[in-house]
Amino acid sequence: MSEKVIAINHLQKKFGKFLALKDVTFEVKKGEVFGFIGPNGAGKSTTIRTLLGILRASGGTATIFGKDVWQDAVQIHKRLAYVPGDVYLWPNLTGGEIIDLFLKLNHQQHNARTDELIKQFELDPSKKTRTYSKGNRQKVALIAAFSTDADLYIFDEPTSGLDPLNEEIFQKQVLALKQDGKSILLSSHILSEVEHMCDRIGIIREGRLIETGTLNEMRHLTRTLITVQTQSSLPDLRNYNGIHDFKLAKDVINKASFSVDSDKMGAVMTLLAPLSITALQSTPPTLEDLFLRYYQNDEHGDDHHEI
Amino acid sequence: MKSSNYQQSLFLTRFNLKRDGLLILVWVLVLSLLMSAVAFKFNDLYGTKDAISSIVLTLKTPAMVSLFGAFTAKAPYTTADIFASEMMVFMALFMAIMNIYFAVRNTRGEESNGTVELIAAHAVGKQSPLLAATIELFLINLFMGCLFFLGIQISGMTGMSTIGNLLTGSGLAACGFLFGSSSLFMAQISDNPRGATMLSYLFLGVTYLIRMITDVKNADWTYLSPFGWVEKLSIYDQNNWLPVLFMLSLTTVLLLLTFYANRHRDVGAGLLTTRGGRKRATFLLSGPFTLVMRLDRLSLIAWILGLCVMGISYGSIFGTVGDILKANPMMGSLLGKNALNAASHLIVLKFAALLLIVFAVLATVPSMQTLLRINNDERKGWLEQIHAKAISRNHIFISYVAVALIMGTFTLLAAIFGMWLANAAVMKDPLTLTRLLRGFWGYLPALYVILGIGALLVGWLPKLQAIIWLLPIYGLISLYFGNLMNIPKWAQQITPYGWINQVPVNNVNWTNFGLLLLLALILFIVGFIGYQKRDLLEN
Ligand SMILES: Nc1ncnc2c1ncn2[C@@H]1O[C@H](COP(=O)(O)OP(=O)(O)O)[C@@H](O)[C@H]1O
Ligand SMILES: [Mg+2]
Repeated sequence: MSEKVIAINHLQKKFGKFLALKDVTFEVKKGEVFGFIGPNGAGKSTTIRTLLGILRASGGTATIFGKDVWQDAVQIHKRLAYVPGDVYLWPNLTGGEIIDLFLKLNHQQHNARTDELIKQFELDPSKKTRTYSKGNRQKVALIAAFSTDADLYIFDEPTSGLDPLNEEIFQKQVLALKQDGKSILLSSHILSEVEHMCDRIGIIREGRLIETGTLNEMRHLTRTLITVQTQSSLPDLRNYNGIHDFKLAKDVINKASFSVDSDKMGAVMTLLAPLSITALQSTPPTLEDLFLRYYQNDEHGDDHHEI
Repeated sequence: MKSSNYQQSLFLTRFNLKRDGLLILVWVLVLSLLMSAVAFKFNDLYGTKDAISSIVLTLKTPAMVSLFGAFTAKAPYTTADIFASEMMVFMALFMAIMNIYFAVRNTRGEESNGTVELIAAHAVGKQSPLLAATIELFLINLFMGCLFFLGIQISGMTGMSTIGNLLTGSGLAACGFLFGSSSLFMAQISDNPRGATMLSYLFLGVTYLIRMITDVKNADWTYLSPFGWVEKLSIYDQNNWLPVLFMLSLTTVLLLLTFYANRHRDVGAGLLTTRGGRKRATFLLSGPFTLVMRLDRLSLIAWILGLCVMGISYGSIFGTVGDILKANPMMGSLLGKNALNAASHLIVLKFAALLLIVFAVLATVPSMQTLLRINNDERKGWLEQIHAKAISRNHIFISYVAVALIMGTFTLLAAIFGMWLANAAVMKDPLTLTRLLRGFWGYLPALYVILGIGALLVGWLPKLQAIIWLLPIYGLISLYFGNLMNIPKWAQQITPYGWINQVPVNNVNWTNFGLLLLLALILFIVGFIGYQKRDLLEN
C-alpha cells in the first residue's frame, strides 16, 4: 500500500512573473483516492497540467510511477487516464468517434465496458459534439477514461457539469476503480464529492499545499456543532476555551447551541455533565465546515496555523 | 412586440465596436493606405503620354483583363483611368474578404462560442445581435469608403475628379457591404462558422470567376456577376452610379432574407443542420495524423476543388490570351507559323507564371491554417486530452505539419492541373503538362519555406503567430503589381514567393529547389525544438 504513484516535491510554476504554484508537496499512494481540494484559482489545474507534462515545472520535482513527468511523459501516459476540468472536443466529430479515438491513442479498444458506460451515462454517441452540452462533453471524456485500463486516473473537477444522477454514476465508477486497486487523483471544490470517496485529501490555496491527511486527521481540526438542553441553569460559556459561537435559545430556558473544537470535546462534556443534560444533539463536522474555516481564516488574516 | 425584437441593438453595436476596434483599425488602415499610396505613386509611374499608352496596350491584353478587369475607358487616357482599371477589381476583392471575415465572426462565430446565448438571456431582442453585426458592418464599409475617397482626393492624381473619387469610395463600400450581407445570409444557412465562411467564399469565388471569364469573352456579360458591378462603375470615364444602385438593391434583398431567417430559427440552428454521424470511429480515425486529416478533410476537398476550378477558368482563356493575331494581324505575315506558335506560347507561359504566384499564395492559405492549428486547437482546449495520452509532442507536431504539407502540395497541383486541363481543351497547340508542372516544382519549395517560417513562429512565438499572414499578403501584392507599379526587385524578393525564377517560362532551377527544401527542413526542425521545450498554451 505504501508504494508512491505520484510524488510531488516543492513544485513551483511561474507564468511570466506570476507564481501560480509556490510550494506544492504531496504524494498519492498506490490504491488510494486522493482528494485535491482548493478554491478556484488555487492552482489545482496547473498542478495537474504539470503532472501531465503539458506545462513545464519552474522548480521542484514531480514523478509518476517513479518517472519524471516531463522527461518520460509518454511512458507515464501509457498507464494513465485523464479528464480535464473543462472538456472541449472537436465540434465536427461525434462523441462515439472521440471515445474510440481516445482509447486508440492509448492502444486500447472499444470494449464491452465502453458500451456499458455509454448506456449508464445515457450519451448519444452518434451526435456531433457541436451539439453537446458541457455535461455531455464531460461524459465523453469520462466514458473514455473509465473504459481505459490504466493504473492512475486523474480527474480535474469532473462533475461540475453533471446532474446529480450522473454524478452518482461517476462516484460509483470511482469506487469500482478503487476496489480494483487503482490510484486516483481527484481535484474538486465540491466537497460532498470528495467526502464520500477519498481516503486522503490535500488542501491547496494560492499555490501552496497547506494541509494533507486522512479525513479523520482533518476532522480533529474542525469543530462539532452542539445543541444542548439542561435541567440546571446553563452558564454563559461564551468565553470558555474551545467553545465558539455560543448562543442561548431565546424561547426555551437552559438551551444553547455552540461549536466546540474537536480536541476540546472531552473538557466541554465534563463541564456539561453535572448540569443534568436532558437533550444533546451533536452534528459532526463536514468538509464544508473545514473548508469554510480555512477561507474565513483567509479573510481574517492567516491564522489557520494556530488551530 | 416588433420593436422589442431589436431592443438594445445600438448598445450591442457599441459594445462590438469597442471589442473589434483594433482589428477594424488594422484592416481599414492597411486597405486605405494601400489605395492612397498607389494613387500617390501613379503620377510618377504613369505621368507621361508614352507611359500611359504603353500600359494601356498591356491592360487591354486578355491576360491583364482577366486579372484586373476589362479596360473600358475612352481615349484620351489619363493617369486616373489607369489607376481605376488596375485597382478596382483588386480592392473589391479585399473588401469582400474583410467583410466576410467580420460578418461570420460577429454572427455565426459568436453564436457557436456561446456568446449569443449569454446575451439573449438578457433584455436583448432576438434580432439585436444580428442587427448590431449588420450596423457594425455598415459602419466599417462607410468608414472605409470615406477613407478611400479622402485618400485619392488628396493624392492629386492627374485626371481624377471629385465625382469619380466619390464613386470609387461609394462603389467599393457598397461592394464590400454586399459581400458582407451575403455572408450574413450564409451564416443563417450554415450552423457553424466554418461552413458559413466556405459558403461565403463559394459565392465570392463563383461571382469572381464569372466576372473573369465574361470580361475576357464579352465584357457586356459581366453585368451577370455582382462582383463585376464594380467594373461597370466606369470610374473617371462615365462615372456610372447605376451599379451602386444594383449593389444596394441586392444587399437589401439579402438582408431581408437574413433577418427573416434569423427570426424564424433557434439560436445555434441553421438551415443546413449538422447531421449525426458514426457511433464508432473507423480505422480512418486512429491517431494524431488521421485525426488532423479528418478535421481538415472538408477544407482539403473544398480547396482542391476551388483551386482546380480556378485553374480551369484561367486555363480556358489561354486561347484568347495567346492569340497574338487578334491584337496584331500583321504578325501573321511577319512571323512563320512556328515562330507564331512559339511567340504565343511565350505569352501564355508568362501569363501562367503570374498566375502561379496567385496559386502559390492561395495554396498557402489552407496549409498555413492547418499549421497554425497546432496552437489554435490548443487554445480551444481540444488537444489537452491528447497530451495526456501516450502520444509525444513530436508526433502531434509532425502530424499537423504533414497535413499542412499535403494541403499545400495538392492545392497547388490542383490549380496547375486545372489550368492544363482547360488549356488542352481550348488551345490548338496546347502547353504540355510537363511544361506547366515546372511551375509546380518551382513554387513548391517556396511554399514549404513559408510554411517552415510559420512552424518557426508556432514553436517560438505562439502568441504572435498570426503575423505570418503578412508574408502571403505582401508577397501577393508585391509580385502581382510588381511590374505594373515598378516595385523594385529587392522589394519583390522579400518573401520566398519572389525567389522563384519565372517558371514555367524558364526551367526549374534544381539547385535552388534542393536548397529551399533544405532551408524548409531546417525551419521545421527549429520550430519543433521550440514547441518541444515550452509550455503548451491552454484555453
Ligand atoms: N497559462 C496561464 N498563464 C497565466 N496564468 C495562468 C495560466 N494558467 C493558470 N494561470 C493562473 O494560475 C492560477 C491557478 O490556476 P488554476 O491552476 O487553473 O486554478 P484551479 O484549477 O485551482 O482553479 C490562477 O490564478 C490562474 O489565473
Ligand atoms: Mg481548475
